[in-house]
Amino acid sequence: MLTYAPDDTLAHRLDPRTKLVVQIGFATTALAHTSPQALLALSVVAGLILLAARVALLEALYAYRFALVILAIAPLIAGLTLGAPWFDLTDAGDSGRASYRVLLILLVSAAYVRSTPVRASRAAIQRTVPGKPGQVLGIGVALVFRFLPVLQADFRTIRDAMAARLGDERGVIERASTLSLLALSRAFDRADRLALALQARCFAWNPTLPALAFSRADYPVLAGAVVLALTAFL
Amino acid sequence: MATEQNSVDLVDGEIVRQFARAALLAALLGAAAPVSIPIPLSPVPITLQVLFVFLAGLVLGPVWGPTSILLYLAAGAIGLPVFSGMSAGLGVLVGNTAGYLWAYPLAAGLIGLMVHGDTDLRDPADVSLPVVIVALVAGTILIYGMGTGYMAWALELGMWEAISIGALLFIPGELLKIAAAIAIVKSGRIAPIQS
Repeated sequence: MLTYAPDDTLAHRLDPRTKLVVQIGFATTALAHTSPQALLALSVVAGLILLAARVALLEALYAYRFALVILAIAPLIAGLTLGAPWFDLTDAGDSGRASYRVLLILLVSAAYVRSTPVRASRAAIQRTVPGKPGQVLGIGVALVFRFLPVLQADFRTIRDAMAARLGDERGVIERASTLSLLALSRAFDRADRLALALQARCFAWNPTLPALAFSRADYPVLAGAVVLALTAFL
Repeated sequence: MATEQNSVDLVDGEIVRQFARAALLAALLGAAAPVSIPIPLSPVPITLQVLFVFLAGLVLGPVWGPTSILLYLAAGAIGLPVFSGMSAGLGVLVGNTAGYLWAYPLAAGLIGLMVHGDTDLRDPADVSLPVVIVALVAGTILIYGMGTGYMAWALELGMWEAISIGALLFIPGELLKIAAAIAIVKSGRIAPIQS
C-alpha cells in the first residue's frame, strides 16, 4: 500500500503547498494534451517527479491496480466496432493515449502521497482555505485519518459476528442493510461521544497551527509548476 | 516571534455534533472502500460506498451530507487510502473515476434537499416512501451521469462505450443499494440531529 514514508529526498523537503501546485500543474497540462510528443515529455516529467520522491514504480502501479484495469480496457472497448473492420486502430490509439496520460497523473500523485506527512497536508489545507470552511476541512480530514482504522475494525467485527450467525447466507439486500446499519449506528455513537469530548476541550474556530515556511528549494519548483500548468495552452 | 491575541471562538454545540457525525461518516465511506463484493464480468466490484453517499444525504441533510463527502475526498487526495482498491492521491480526483467521486457530494446534497426540503432536518423514516425513492434514483442518475460523462472525456471514449464500461454492469447493484438504504432509514434506528 502506498503511504507516507519518512525520507530525505528533494520531494520530502519541499513545502506541501508547492507539491500540491505541482500536481495541479501536471494534471492541467496532461488533461489538455494527448499527442505522442506531449506524452513523451509528460512521461519524462513524471519520471523525474517519481525519482525526486524515490517512489518505486511497481509499488505505485500496484497501488492503482483498480484504475489500471479500466485504463487497459478502455482502448479495447474504444477500438471495437460493429461490422468490418471489427477493430478500429485509430479509435483504440486515441483512447490508449488518453488512458496513458491518466496513468501519469496517478503516478505523480503517488509521489506526493509518499513524500508528505498528513500533518503537513492538513496545515496546508487549513492555511490555504480561509476561515471556517478551512477549519472544518482541516480538522475533519484529521478526524477521518484518526477514525479510519477504528471503523475498519468495526466493519471486521460486524462481519465476523454476522458470519458466526450465518448472516452471510442471507440475501444481498439484507446483508448490505444489516452491515451498513450496524456500522452507521456504531459510527454515530462514536461521533456523539467525540462531539462531547471536543466540547469538553473547548473545540474552537481559532486554534494554533504548526508553522509552515517556504524554503529556497520551493521557489524554483513552484515556478516550474506554473510553467507546467501554462503548457496546457500550447 | 509574533504572538496572536484572540479570544477563543467556541464552536456551537449543535454544529459540533453534526460535524463529528460528518467526519465519522466520511471515515466510514473510506472504511467501506475495501468492503467490496465482486460481480462477474465487471472491471470494478460493487462497494457499499454509494450506499453511504445515499445515507449522507438522508441522515445528515443538504449541508452536512456534502460536507462529509468533501472530507472524504480531501482525505483521499492527501494520501489516506480510501478510494477504490485502497488507492489515494490527488490524481484520483482527476483520473478515470473522478466523475463519480465529484458527483458524490452533489448527489448527497440533492438527496438531502429532496428529502429534507431545507436545512431543518426531519426524520427520513417519516418522509413518504415515493419521495425517498425518487431522491435516491435522482442521486444515482447524477452519479452515473457525471461518472460516465467524465470517463468518456478523459479516456476519449464514445458515450455508449463509457456507459458500457462504467454504468451498465452496476445497475443491478445500485438497485440493491437503493433498497438497502430505504430499509435502513425506515428501520427508524438512525435519527438525524434535529434542531
